[in-house]
Formats: sequence, C-alpha cells, structure tokens
Amino acid sequence: MKSDFSEEKKIVCRCEDLTAAEIIKKIKEGYHTFDELKRVIRCGAGMCQGRTCRDLIMKLLAQHLNRRIEDLPHPTIRPPIKPIPLKSFQ
Amino acid sequence: MRYQLGIVGGGPAGMMAALIGDRFGIKTILIDDNPALGGQLIKQTHKFFGSKDHYCGYRGFQIGSILREEIAKSKVEVITSATVTGIYPGFILGLHHKERYQEVGCDAVIVATGAKEKFLIFENNDLPGVYGAGAVQTLMNVYGVFPGRRALMIGSGNIGLIVTYQLLQAGVEVPFLVEILPEIGGWFVHAAKIARAGTRILTSHTIISALGEEEVEGAVIAKVDDQFHPVSGSEVTIDVDLICLAVGLSPLSDLLWQVGCRMEFIPELGGYLAWHNERMETTVPGLYVAGDVAGIEEATTAMLEGKVAAISAVSHLLGPSDELSAMQREIIRELDDLRSGDFSQVVSRGLRRLYDRP
Amino acid sequence: MSARISKGYITHHPIIEFKRGKKVKFFFEGQVLEGYEGEPIAAALHANGIKVLSYSVRYQRPRGFFCAVGKCASCLMEVDGRENVMVCMEPLREGMRVRRQRR
Ligand SMILES: Cc1cc2nc3c(=O)[nH]c(=O)nc-3n(C[C@H](O)[C@H](O)[C@H](O)COP(=O)(O)OP(=O)(O)OC[C@H]3O[C@@H](n4cnc5c(N)ncnc54)[C@H](O)[C@@H]3O)c2cc1C
Ligand code: FES
Ligand code: FES
Repeated sequence: MKSDFSEEKKIVCRCEDLTAAEIIKKIKEGYHTFDELKRVIRCGAGMCQGRTCRDLIMKLLAQHLNRRIEDLPHPTIRPPIKPIPLKSFQ
Repeated sequence: MRYQLGIVGGGPAGMMAALIGDRFGIKTILIDDNPALGGQLIKQTHKFFGSKDHYCGYRGFQIGSILREEIAKSKVEVITSATVTGIYPGFILGLHHKERYQEVGCDAVIVATGAKEKFLIFENNDLPGVYGAGAVQTLMNVYGVFPGRRALMIGSGNIGLIVTYQLLQAGVEVPFLVEILPEIGGWFVHAAKIARAGTRILTSHTIISALGEEEVEGAVIAKVDDQFHPVSGSEVTIDVDLICLAVGLSPLSDLLWQVGCRMEFIPELGGYLAWHNERMETTVPGLYVAGDVAGIEEATTAMLEGKVAAISAVSHLLGPSDELSAMQREIIRELDDLRSGDFSQVVSRGLRRLYDRP
Repeated sequence: MSARISKGYITHHPIIEFKRGKKVKFFFEGQVLEGYEGEPIAAALHANGIKVLSYSVRYQRPRGFFCAVGKCASCLMEVDGRENVMVCMEPLREGMRVRRQRR
C-alpha cells in the first residue's frame, strides 16, 4: 500500500519545484548543509527566498543525517529577503 | 529622511512599540506590508483568550482597531503596503513600496515581523486547495470569500481548532480534523466546541495524500503508529475540496539572519529566532525584537514585548533613566505572570533555554 | 450558525459584516469576471472558482496560493503586463488583465 504514495509527488521547495525525493537524493550524495544543497539544486533560492521550504529542508537534513537541527550548520541568508524588480530602482 | 526609531511590522507588537516610542517623543516610523495595520489581529473574529486587563473578551479585530486609532492620533509615521527587504549597515531600512525601492535611515530598529505558517510534506501537498489555515482565515474573515464546501483541517493546536470553528461559522463543512500526536494540542474548550458542531477529531492520524488533478478533490488520511509512521491498511479516502494546514508557525526572522544577529534554534518557540534577553535586546546593539518573531506566543504577550522593546530602544536613544527601567521591570513582571500558567509551560521552557544561552 | 453564500462570497455571516468595494469587471486569461474593487486579486479569482494561479516551473504542476499574506511567492501572476505580481496582496481594480505567467 505504502508504495502507492510516491516521494516524487511530495513538494518541498515550491518556488524551484523540488521534490522530497530529489532533495533526499542530494543529501545521500553527500551535500550535508543547507547552503550546499542550495548551491547544487537551488532549493531555498526561489522567489520566496526559502521562507517556505527552509524549515522542511533542515528537517530532512536532520532526519537523514541523524542529527538535531540545532547541531547542523545554519543556513546563510542575504538581503534582499524578497527579490526586487529591477525597474523599482529607477 | 531619518528617524530615531524604525519598526518593521505593524501587528500588535509593532503597533504597541510605536505608541511607546511616540509617548517618549521619539521620531518613529512604522512599516507594514499589508494594506492596513493590525497583523494577525485583523482576521481574528473570536473572543480573545488572555488575562482580564489585556483585552480579554474583545475580538482580535476589535483590538486591532483600537490600536490603529491610537496610532492615527499619535505622531507615528505609518507606511503600509511596504515591505522591508533588507536592513543595511547604519540601520538603513531598504523598502519596497508602490513599485519603488527606497531607503529610510534609523538610529534604532525593532523587528516585529510576526510569523509564517509552516508547510508540510505529503503527496500532492502543493495542489491548489491546500492552503495555510491563516490564509483561509484571511480569505473568509477579511474578504468574505467562501473558501470551500468541505474542509479537512490538519493540526489540533489552538489555531487549527479556532479556524475549524470559523470555517463552520462561514458555512463550510469540516468532517475531520487530523492530529498526528496522540493528544489534542490546543485548549479543551475550543476542541469541545467543534466536536459538538460535528467535526471528528482524529488523534494519531495524518494526511497521506491530497487527491485531484488540477485542484483538491479529496484526501487520504491514515492512522499512525507510535513512531508516527502510517499504519498500512488504515487509509481512508475522504471527500473534501479544501485542506487547511495548521501545523505551526515559525518566526519570520529573515531580516535578523541577514543583519547577522546570533540565531538560535528553539523548537518550543517555533524554530530559529534571534537570540534576545528579557529586555528584547538582540546581539546587535540598537536592534530589538518583539512579538511572534521573538518566539511564537499570543497577542497579549506580543503587545507587552512591544512595550519592553520600545523602552529598551528609548533608553538606547535618550540614555537610560530610573523611570524607564522601573517601567520596563514592571512590564517584564507582567509578562512573567502571564506566562506562569499551565498553558504557557512550553513557551516558558523555550524562553528559559534561550535566556540560559549567554 | 447561519452563514449564507452567494456566487463564491459569504453574504451573511453570524459575526462579521463585510465592507466591500464596488463591483468591477476584470479579465482572467481573456475571460471577463466580476469581483470587488480593493479585494486581493487572489480572493476575486477564488470566488470565481479559479484556484490554479500558475503551473510550476519544472513539472508543470498546478499551483494556487498558500499563505495569502505575501510571504510564500506561490501566487505570482502577470497583471496588466507586469510579471511576478503577488496576487494575494494586489488590490483588484476595474479592467485589470490577469494571466498565468508563461515561463
Ligand atoms: C488563528 C489564530 C488565532 C489566534 N488567537 C489568539 C487569541 O485568541 N489570543 C491571542 O492572544 N493571540 C491569538 N493569536 C496569536 C496572535 O495573533 C499573534 O501572536 C500576534 O498577532 C503576534 O503579533 P505580532 O505583532 O508579533 O505579529 P503579527 O500580528 O503577525 O504582525 C506582524 C506584521 O508584520 C508584517 N511584516 C512581516 N515582515 C515584514 C516586512 N519585511 N516588511 C513589512 N512588514 C512586514 C506582517 O505582514 C504583519 O502585518 C492567534 C493567531 C492565529 C493565527
Ligand atoms: S519554497 Fe523554496 S525558495 Fe520558495
Ligand atoms: S500566497 Fe503566499 S505570497 Fe501570495
């Protein structure tokens, strides 16, 4: 029964359209921090700047590395927290 | 334009902080990204829990209007529909307002950005019709849009329970509420109310899948074992066109990460938040936090924290005084009192862990 | 509990009295719809039964709004030729042209 519900249809990062399966695969390949994952598959780098998926990604990391979230390296967050359309600067 | 005090977020915490700043003659600017001030309060239609002298018995949106009126009478400069997108060295607030980017310089800043709703991993969790419980609340309580015919609520904290009741009031059927833990998270009174109205609260249950091609047409729920794994064979398909996630809030602390405040992960307070002390000071001098961004709690404590943060900011700007510190001590004592009850055990534990980290 | 519903809106609510703007016409993918001035575009679309606001970038999965308070970027649409407008926050105006983004 369980296999009817696939990991492929569980979305973790809505903005960049990344599934739990894709993120778990990268963790297993050795990308063990939020920043590394973000660099390789852009999870958390979308229009919401990771606000929706950051907690879930940290949780997946903790689960798969068997560690507590507080013991994992913190994500790095840079301004702006929302992408600003270029024309707004004119 | 330069201000002495910049406040990001116009919910109960930010509004209260602005009023205190103004009372001490501080040139204050209050910035919020919504069209009107009020934060979460504008969608709360139920009578508030909390202590007597703290607006208990008022409905949330009424408390919002009271504070809004006071702000309108004050000298506080208010900018709505403006998002603060960055805080830069020298406390320059970068803000995006009416499709323009502008900068506002401040001498001290209070971040009172509130919280964001947590998302949950399950099959088809991104299908239209899977909404945050707060989103549904905004849609139906602020704009009067009928959210859906039949809803499944996920999560039995106070928010899940209260929004379920509000859905029922708006004419939406809510046949089921599922809770993965073996016990209901929120208050018994709220749970009893929705149970009387016909909602079945299923503890040790979770959602497995949202069904539908283009939008939600149903859901599969199942029982979980004590490891929280679904028990195979216990799956039930239910007919719903709306799935509400009330699986918790986490502090909206992006600006604080970005400034370089020391961040701590405290699950009892909702996740990552900026370290702060009882005076709401962060590790960056002149930068303060208040309300849900300083730990998920409630509107009463948010307002008191707003006052405490503002007093810290005023002492930073004008220099400390006995009057200010006496006033602040008094409010901190009030907060302690509020948090001494059974209902606040988790928050108190979280705050102790936070304060204990030097 | 005695709410009354008409055309996607709650017309009678036991506690709340809704103050709505005037009725306006707007376009969604060329189709003419009605909503109330000043309400978020996403609210007007939902009341008109439109929940799919976009199709996702890689898998073309249908997406609706999620937070409705401008935090999750799930509701970006093209409005009057402007891209990436958060329709959960953008007030509806007469004659607006709203489209799903082409990516
Ligand atoms: C369903 C529900 C029921 C509740 N019931 C009760 C109750 O009965 N009693 C009670 O005491 N509490 C209740 N609460 C909790 C209470 O509403 C919150 O604790 C309180 O609103 C927190 O206040 P705040 O000022 O910290 O944040 P908020 O009210 O969330 O306000 C923060 C504001 O900041 C804005 N903002 C965020 N980021 C930016 C930015 N970058 N730029 C500009 N603006 C920004 C936000 O949009 C928002 O308007 C309830 C909450 C919910 C969801
Ligand atoms: S959900 Fe991942 S960046 Fe927005
Ligand atoms: S729905 Fe989240 S930003 Fe609009």
